[in-house]
Amino acid sequence: MQPILSVHNLNKYYGNQVGCKNMNLTLYPGEVVGVVGESGSGKTTFINSISGNLIPDSGKILIETGNETIDFLEISESLKRLLIRTELAFVHQNPRDGLRLDVSAGGNISERLMSIGQRNYGNIRQTIFKWLDKVEIDKSRVDDFPRTFSGGMLQRLQIAKNLVTSPKIIFMDEPTGGLDVSVQAKILDLLRKLVRELNLSVVIVSHDLAVIRLLADKIIVMKNGEAVESGLCDQVLDDPQHSYTQLLVSSVLQV
Amino acid sequence: MNNVLKFKNKKTDVAAQDEIYNFAYLDENTKRMIRRALIKALCIPGYQVPFSSREMPMPYGWGTGGVQVTSSCLTTDDVIKVIDQGADDTTNAVSIRNFFKKTANIETTEKTSQASIIQTRHRIPEEKLKEKQILVYQVPIPEPLAFLEPRYQETKKMHALSEYGIMHVKLYEDITKNGHIETAYAYPVKTNDRYIMDPSPIPKFDNPKMNNNPAIQLFGAGREQRIYAIPPYTEVTSLDFEDYPFDPSKAPHKCSICGSNESFLDEIITDDDGNRSFICSDTNYCNQRMENN
Repeated sequence: MQPILSVHNLNKYYGNQVGCKNMNLTLYPGEVVGVVGESGSGKTTFINSISGNLIPDSGKILIETGNETIDFLEISESLKRLLIRTELAFVHQNPRDGLRLDVSAGGNISERLMSIGQRNYGNIRQTIFKWLDKVEIDKSRVDDFPRTFSGGMLQRLQIAKNLVTSPKIIFMDEPTGGLDVSVQAKILDLLRKLVRELNLSVVIVSHDLAVIRLLADKIIVMKNGEAVESGLCDQVLDDPQHSYTQLLVSSVLQV
Repeated sequence: MNNVLKFKNKKTDVAAQDEIYNFAYLDENTKRMIRRALIKALCIPGYQVPFSSREMPMPYGWGTGGVQVTSSCLTTDDVIKVIDQGADDTTNAVSIRNFFKKTANIETTEKTSQASIIQTRHRIPEEKLKEKQILVYQVPIPEPLAFLEPRYQETKKMHALSEYGIMHVKLYEDITKNGHIETAYAYPVKTNDRYIMDPSPIPKFDNPKMNNNPAIQLFGAGREQRIYAIPPYTEVTSLDFEDYPFDPSKAPHKCSICGSNESFLDEIITDDDGNRSFICSDTNYCNQRMENN
């Protein structure tokens, strides 16, 4: 099987400051890769660099679309943006970054559909209802503005907005950050269900080991902009080799 | 230069001509700069060309963009018509017409068919335009995406890459809220199957007239410093949904002066009891019909 996304020797510097250094990643279809590390370890820089939000200084990003392998850093801006709004999706930590707050919930979900050329209001409406159902938002809220939604609902709306065009690769930056524990659990539940049902390929960034353990198949542990350990999720978390990973695992609160 | 010379000759026998102005107010270099922008705009229908808008002797919002475009197109042989919401006799129309009479000493008319340049605010004349006529629109906000995407640089990118999904989001919201597309003026169009364009705040009733029009259509936005254009016989389509097609719509009334069933109507409140009547917004069209009957 071909990996759907592979990243080779990716570097991103902010002046002399290291953003992330020498990063590698292989993502197979239907797989979830988790990236963990403390604040400032370069997780977000990494995910932004491989999703098109930031331009890395060097490295190679290959995306397999089924027909061809695309060198993500070499393609034209127009193709890149087309990919970003069709094949790729980015779920922000703060859902307000990924939503249009002065457009109704339904309008938010419809944007990607219409940007790929759907022009039938009735069909678009059907798809919106289908997705509201999938992310467990009541259908009656379809015409309400996101600003009237709770934090958890906003995050679920952002997920629906991103998944509506069935993207191949989904990037998530701390999707449960800033939510209280019970809502976090609900979102994780939903994500886990969607990942299995739709066979999604996901790169997820989190400082929360529990989130990663629940969702991810593979894990990359970052420190000071570098990957210090990577491998199968259970293996790394149950038998951490690097001293920093050991510290991370041992510092999880046991309730 | 020719223009200036020709004009100077003509000027000698017109005592009323104000001597301190160059022909049509703007200096020749400015006109050349604007003509360059106009040619570029005509080559890329619907694309907004930046130009260095001049301070004009009228406030922004009164047609400074249109006046600059008209001024750059004028020759001594031109006959100019100026309309404001379809009317030849409102303040804006009269003052701009007088402006060109004074600074260019050219012939003016109220008859659509006799004008070679028509400057318009928010209407397209009812009478069909012909080849060799120029229609100049006054534009307040040239960017159709402005109210949806506030970052100018981002809208430039969206135009460049034809990322127009969000334009339909606006129409989607309209249908969701009102059951139909509520936008009644400045209704967005796609020009030559490429650029999405704001037709300036003309009623959507006029949108179909832009399509395949034999005349040249030029758009000038003075404050926003943008020029765009539709060359003759260019396809202009109004955005819509398959199941909610574009509807130009028209008030279900007749003009109470000329009785026309086809023209765009203004609603006039006639007394304190709320009585109202409808009359053609295009005064020249209405007058002509009265003369012919």
